[in-house]
Amino acid sequence: MRRLTIRGNDATLAALGVIGFGVLAATTHGNLLTGGTLRALFQFLAVPILVGLAQMVVLAVGQMNLSVGVLTGLCSMVMASLIVDAGLPAWLAVILGVMLGAAAGALNGILVVLTRINGFIVTLATLTIFSGLRFRVNGTGTYQNYSQRLISLGQGTVAGVPTVFVFALVVATLTSFFFRQTNAGRRLLATGGNPFAARLSGISNERSIVAAHMLSGLLAGTAAVVIVASSGSVNSSIGDDLLLPSFAAPIIAGVALSGGAVSVAGTCLAAFMVRLVDVAQAQYNINASWVDLIVGAVVFGAVLIEQLRQRAAAVAR
Amino acid sequence: MSATSLPEIEIPEPVDAERSPVPQLPIWANPRVGLLVLLAVLVAVFSLLRPAFLNVTLNLVPMQADLSVLVIVGLAQMVVLSLGHMNLAVGRIAAVSTFAMGLVCDRFGVSVWIGLLVGLAVGAAIGALSGFTIATTGVNSFIVTLALDFALLGLVSLLYSWFTGGVSFATQPAGLSGLQFGSFHDYCLAGACGPQVPLVVLLALVAAVAVAVVFARLRLGRELLMIGSSPRAARLSGIAVPRRVVQAHALSGLLAALAGFVLAANNGAFTADIGKSFLLPSFLSPVLGGTALAGGAVSIVGTVMGAGLTEVIQQGLNLLNFTVDELQIYIGVVLLAALSLDRARHVLADRRATRT
Repeated sequence: MRRLTIRGNDATLAALGVIGFGVLAATTHGNLLTGGTLRALFQFLAVPILVGLAQMVVLAVGQMNLSVGVLTGLCSMVMASLIVDAGLPAWLAVILGVMLGAAAGALNGILVVLTRINGFIVTLATLTIFSGLRFRVNGTGTYQNYSQRLISLGQGTVAGVPTVFVFALVVATLTSFFFRQTNAGRRLLATGGNPFAARLSGISNERSIVAAHMLSGLLAGTAAVVIVASSGSVNSSIGDDLLLPSFAAPIIAGVALSGGAVSVAGTCLAAFMVRLVDVAQAQYNINASWVDLIVGAVVFGAVLIEQLRQRAAAVAR
Repeated sequence: MSATSLPEIEIPEPVDAERSPVPQLPIWANPRVGLLVLLAVLVAVFSLLRPAFLNVTLNLVPMQADLSVLVIVGLAQMVVLSLGHMNLAVGRIAAVSTFAMGLVCDRFGVSVWIGLLVGLAVGAAIGALSGFTIATTGVNSFIVTLALDFALLGLVSLLYSWFTGGVSFATQPAGLSGLQFGSFHDYCLAGACGPQVPLVVLLALVAAVAVAVVFARLRLGRELLMIGSSPRAARLSGIAVPRRVVQAHALSGLLAALAGFVLAANNGAFTADIGKSFLLPSFLSPVLGGTALAGGAVSIVGTVMGAGLTEVIQQGLNLLNFTVDELQIYIGVVLLAALSLDRARHVLADRRATRT
């Protein structure tokens, strides 16, 4: 039942996305469809998709990860530092940075399991710790020109589509595959859906929680790769504005906070919707503060519609 | 028959505000005792390392002013935690409310106290709105207040740019500087002057006492704790759950507005970045003090002590020339360590209880 409602939600989101895009394209006299604007739309969609997925995988087990944005920033800074300060080749620095994300995520999970403290509080604490560490990497300094090849790859295109967007789609597909096809993914959903039943059927809920947090950190690490590759310069404020979008995408997609269900496609579509609001702001030259206001309203409206739909479904039954 | 046996039925004690959720635990398992010891040790260590820590005018007075903000923010969060809810918008409610205060004082030239009343009303109204939304739609409080936080984040900067053209009010309302630098030490009666305590501490004290009265004496507080322990049982026993949810969130918004006002008084200005740093401390203080996120138990004394611990660590590390980033790392570590110790104490106490 749960799955079905989410799939219904995906179709609604896709329709809304197409309508929104169409309206925006029409009202800007096709400006949206010119190469540069269209490329930018998808170029800057990669990070919201990846941090949304990073939040989604912990929501799947009924947890939260407040440290996801700051962790993305920390990984970006470490990657840049490894290239500039340690002189490592870019590919190695990127891999190490992603591994750092996974390790930090695993730490979150282990702390949750070991101390039995609420995951909200644990990740709130690690959020402050990671933000301190993120600043320690280079203080107020900015890294730039770290690797021409990495940056040209990140700002380049594959068959006209921004490379980083393709990368985000590949990661999303892998995440979807993980939850649909692998035992490990199903175990996470089982833990999130009903921990008691999961334990009775021989699933270690502790292991699921650690795995979900590790995966979340890993995805935050991939978001860091996109930032380092596509922005060309990183400093210690990276990631500060990612926490709210990370919740917005899965919540708009209808992923329940109580766990047990995920929607990879919905999260991507919701990130696209939020991105459209951003683009509209730039196209119409509106005060940037409107974006937050509208996104807040969209998050709330989406949740409300989902709630009404469920109520209607319950009545129909 | 049933009428005569009625008085014999044992009435379970209501969850008391100041009592630990597990009453049979020994005294050292009480989180407040651990907090007190930790506070004493830290104060002793910092005073030994930097005697300036005990300097009244340079350190203790500003610390009390900061502490007042932390206490009120912690209480604002604690009030909704009692229900098992969260208020992620505490900081932004504070920002919008202080904007309202600044606007009223700026446009109408009224005293800062009238502004405060208007701001408190705005804060309570926003809180009531989010409470109403949660109660009527049944959407998780986390999502509602997250969306609200988003919306208010945009609204605050829009409001400031519309009405001030910048990020703060240029004029300082009458009476604000008196509150900024005022101390009970300035008030003397028959040769005896008050202690070196800033005036804003009084606001925090009033807030703490008022919240304590709500939870210890009033029906509102008792019913909030009952809803927090079991919303279903509360509803079945005839508690008007939606109304209480609205009231709790309104109270949380009111306290957030008060915290914003105290911070504005400490800074001496109504600015757009008020409340930016409220979210972490708002959870830190009550959680360190033993308030459960699941609801059903609160501790006002614990929240005040949790705020005290945060402030002592912040100021102590500051005096020891730790930088802001190191400070963040240590505060995160201390939070985890304190809560883990708390957990370990509970496990030990449980074991001892089962053995005897």
